[in-house]
Amino acid sequence: MSETRIQLIGGGLAGLMAAIRVAELGHPVDLFSVVPVRRSHSVCAQGGINAAKNLKGEGDSTWQHFDDTVYGGDFLQNQPLVKGMCEAAPGIIDLLDRMGVTFNRTAEGLLDFRRFGGTLYHRTAFAGATTGQQLLYALDEQVRRYEAEGRIRKLEGWMFLSAVLDDAGVSRGVCAVSLRSGEIRAFPGDATIVATGGIGSIFGQSTNSVACTGSAQSALFQQGVHYANAEMIQVHPTAIPGEDKCRLISESVRGEGGRVWVPKTPHDARDPRTIPEAERFYFLEEWYPKYGNLVPRDVATRAIHKVVHEEGLGVDGKAMVYLDVTHLPREMLMRKLGGVLEIYEKFVGLDPCEHPMKVFPAQHYTMGGLWVDNETQATNVPGIYAAGECDYQYHGANRLGANSLLSCLYGGMLAGPAAVRYARNLTVSAEATPASVFAREQKRQEEIYDRLRNQEGNESPIRIWREMGETMTRHVTVTRYNKDLAAADAKLAELQERYRSINLADRARWGNQSLHFTRELGNMLVLARLVSQSAILRDESRGAHYKPEFPDRDDERWLRTIRARYEGGKFQFEFDPVDTSLIPPRKRSYKS
Amino acid sequence: MPVKAVATAEVPPEATVVPAAKPDRSYFWDKLHSLTGIIPIGAFLAEHFWSNSYALVSVDRYNQASYDLQTIPWRVPVEALMIWIPLLYHGFYGIYIWSKGKSNVTRYDYGANWMYVLQRWTGLVAFVFIGWHVYLERFLTQGKSDYFDVSATLANPLFLGFYVVGILAVSYHFGNGLWQFANKWGLVVGRGAQRKAAWAAGTIGVLFALVGLAIVFSFVFQWHPFQFYAQ
Amino acid sequence: MAEGKTIVLKIKRRAGPAEPARWEEFAVAWRPNLNVIACLIAIAENPVTRDGRNTTPVSYESNCLEEVCGACAMVINSRSRQACSALVDQLEQPIRLEPMSKFPIVRDLVVDRSRMFENAKRLRCWVPIDGTYAIGPGPRVAPERQEVAYALSRCMFCGNCLEVCPKVNENSDFVGAALLNQVRLFNAHPTGRMHAHERLQAVRGIGGVQDCDNAQNCVKACPKNIPLTESNNDVNRQALLDAILGWMLR
Repeated sequence: MSETRIQLIGGGLAGLMAAIRVAELGHPVDLFSVVPVRRSHSVCAQGGINAAKNLKGEGDSTWQHFDDTVYGGDFLQNQPLVKGMCEAAPGIIDLLDRMGVTFNRTAEGLLDFRRFGGTLYHRTAFAGATTGQQLLYALDEQVRRYEAEGRIRKLEGWMFLSAVLDDAGVSRGVCAVSLRSGEIRAFPGDATIVATGGIGSIFGQSTNSVACTGSAQSALFQQGVHYANAEMIQVHPTAIPGEDKCRLISESVRGEGGRVWVPKTPHDARDPRTIPEAERFYFLEEWYPKYGNLVPRDVATRAIHKVVHEEGLGVDGKAMVYLDVTHLPREMLMRKLGGVLEIYEKFVGLDPCEHPMKVFPAQHYTMGGLWVDNETQATNVPGIYAAGECDYQYHGANRLGANSLLSCLYGGMLAGPAAVRYARNLTVSAEATPASVFAREQKRQEEIYDRLRNQEGNESPIRIWREMGETMTRHVTVTRYNKDLAAADAKLAELQERYRSINLADRARWGNQSLHFTRELGNMLVLARLVSQSAILRDESRGAHYKPEFPDRDDERWLRTIRARYEGGKFQFEFDPVDTSLIPPRKRSYKS
Repeated sequence: MPVKAVATAEVPPEATVVPAAKPDRSYFWDKLHSLTGIIPIGAFLAEHFWSNSYALVSVDRYNQASYDLQTIPWRVPVEALMIWIPLLYHGFYGIYIWSKGKSNVTRYDYGANWMYVLQRWTGLVAFVFIGWHVYLERFLTQGKSDYFDVSATLANPLFLGFYVVGILAVSYHFGNGLWQFANKWGLVVGRGAQRKAAWAAGTIGVLFALVGLAIVFSFVFQWHPFQFYAQ
Repeated sequence: MAEGKTIVLKIKRRAGPAEPARWEEFAVAWRPNLNVIACLIAIAENPVTRDGRNTTPVSYESNCLEEVCGACAMVINSRSRQACSALVDQLEQPIRLEPMSKFPIVRDLVVDRSRMFENAKRLRCWVPIDGTYAIGPGPRVAPERQEVAYALSRCMFCGNCLEVCPKVNENSDFVGAALLNQVRLFNAHPTGRMHAHERLQAVRGIGGVQDCDNAQNCVKACPKNIPLTESNNDVNRQALLDAILGWMLR
């Protein structure tokens, strides 16, 4: 029997880690990525990665990390996996360190740690303010090494379209399209690990990269993979609003002492530097004295919304607050936060060491995602695994800062060997699967593409995308009302209708980016509807999901995973109990 | 429209083993090229400027110095090994290196980029000048050139002009070449060290130009500022 | 500029590698804080040239849009740089966009930079670890060394340093400053250093460190301010010592 071949979809941290683990076990890997993997969205992670190494004499422990994570996620996680992740974290940091990640160091040459949101410990290892980039590069290099050894084949510039499912509903490979030539092809594979990251694009402007469309997750969902807690969307409190995207200003800025404030007088037109202390409202520090500026993101985001929209104290009367580091020494700022302050200076044109930054919340992360089991990252479809931001585990209703890099790596570490185990035990390999199974899926995808290329109408994909983004950002982010959510869903249904009238200006096959984008847009719309419908269902406030009409957490009814299935073009929802066997749920408050 | 980075493989090949690159002979020839610029060519240049500086003392001292050099033992093999072969190698290999680059100074008009371009043109000018200079002063005079042969050459204003251009080109090429050498052999690494080396090499280049021009003017104006040494 | 004004872009287009190049002019409504990418999105939304002709959306690469992924490098007003950080208000108009010239063209502004990644394989640009198993912490590193290494390790393979290098072109195989910088980075790592000889042999291969002629455009073009000329010189020094010692001692 030929060797089992494992397919990786996505070349971010989770995908690369899974690829390394599979290659290490001696199995050939096909690594699909829409971008050269070194350009994956993981590069955007700034602040750091959590691990309770307790190198600062604070008595930190993996249990404390676990507790902070579960508490921060408002108890919506299945706890055993989270515990496993927190226990693995120190070892993961060691591994990254051995791979050559340029973590910041203490005078003794040990790893330095900084504080982050939702914890009182120095638990976050960091490489300047471009930790994700440094981690991704380290893994990219390890993958390149395996590639040079002939153990990994990279298919960069190939976009995942669908899984190839046989008659028994078992995954036998994937169908993908070359973004360059437009060729559609089915690739046999014994197991497939999906690591396609976030879905920011359905919110229009988010902090996500362009590649984060969620198209793969949506395609799989439509093929029968379950999707869980879709409504759990993290909005990061501090980003720079932009035309093309919102650029993140890392939580580590606050971790290193940055302070959030607004002038006490509405529409205060003075230069912020001339506003005296007494006339500044440090609302986070005032409202949350224990955690101060380092409350979890959902809390900080809601506080900013409150101060701006309810109290009308936004800077210049606009939806913005100050994030201020001007009181901190420039040398320290450049050494520990250079990468992120550079972004502000480049894109806004002001030196943040001199001028308080103007920031506002922006969509940032999806806690929800493809449903996976509680042990191996396996989805409900045999042969398909998911890891990283695209799965739903680990973060519950709100992710703590610097836990995402960790969960990506941990998920990848689990998924790789699990997929290998599964593939080794297959009685019929993908190679032995009848060619007709692959031909059928390839033909289905080719027909979808042909339809898009040839359809007539007067709609532009960009316009539909913009309207979807505006709808989602307005109604399905920080504050959610059922009436608005229903309106958003109706609007999305209308957009789905208009999608059929998209008239592409470019009908070529070669390098036709708008064609591929339009293909993804169809999937994005499905996912957007799933997010808004899940949000309608959850009548409570938990973590990032906040409904003023239901301001409290309702464990009785809603300590549940909302698991969605796609059946005959409709969403079916199930409500699974959450495994809270280790830490009993308690009231979540960061006030004291 | 949000557009992803379009990546690489078009039709994916099977995974293939990629061995590490192997060292290539071109490394040796390139390093030899930059070395010959300093030793022996640069060293000879210094010697040449030194012995010609006798013109600044007096005609007799110049002729004496010339005679001494023209009567060294093993003259032809020494000249061939120390001058002709290194010079020809440096010149022709330099042109080969030039052919592998494509100047873009019109787009990127940075200082070091100009220096890169000038290094090539001054190298060419210097190469032609040296060839002509050798033809005039070495072969036309059967290796017995003296003060009056050189004076006669420089009496021609066109020839004089070429001498001035040639000396400036040689001096620039040598001065900048020293800096290149310091970089290409990793003698300086840090930006501060690079800058210091640039100053040092630049100073040497300017000194060579000044000395070279002084020698030329010595012939043209019968100018012997150090004559009092001989009195 | 005030609201209501338009921005004019001239874009060099090509439908494919074998197709002829042509210039097209577009007008985009001005808004505050616009960058080149936002203009390209606006063109994609309404792909009509300035003289009213229907055309196709412009192909280009991008991903992170905050200058950490390296995707969107192109030649903007004759300078090679990242399009995301090219703010319209800081650019002279008409804004001219061209694909990078040192890489094979795919379509419009998209080029194929895979040779950089291939060279990273040939130059062994990684820290060879024994495995991903839990085998303890990595080597200790002095903060000073970390700061040097961090500056080098921010290279995103954007290719700007290759684009501006006079020694990178179709006549030469020069790997470019980015790759020499990688050799330096991995030779500086305590574990990577154990394999320095292999890298230094490789970097003396065809198109290796000897091809750097010190025009120093690379360091000016680097969007991450990596001290590339220092890396070039450092690798030169290491490669030379390795060559001499290799000849004399091995």
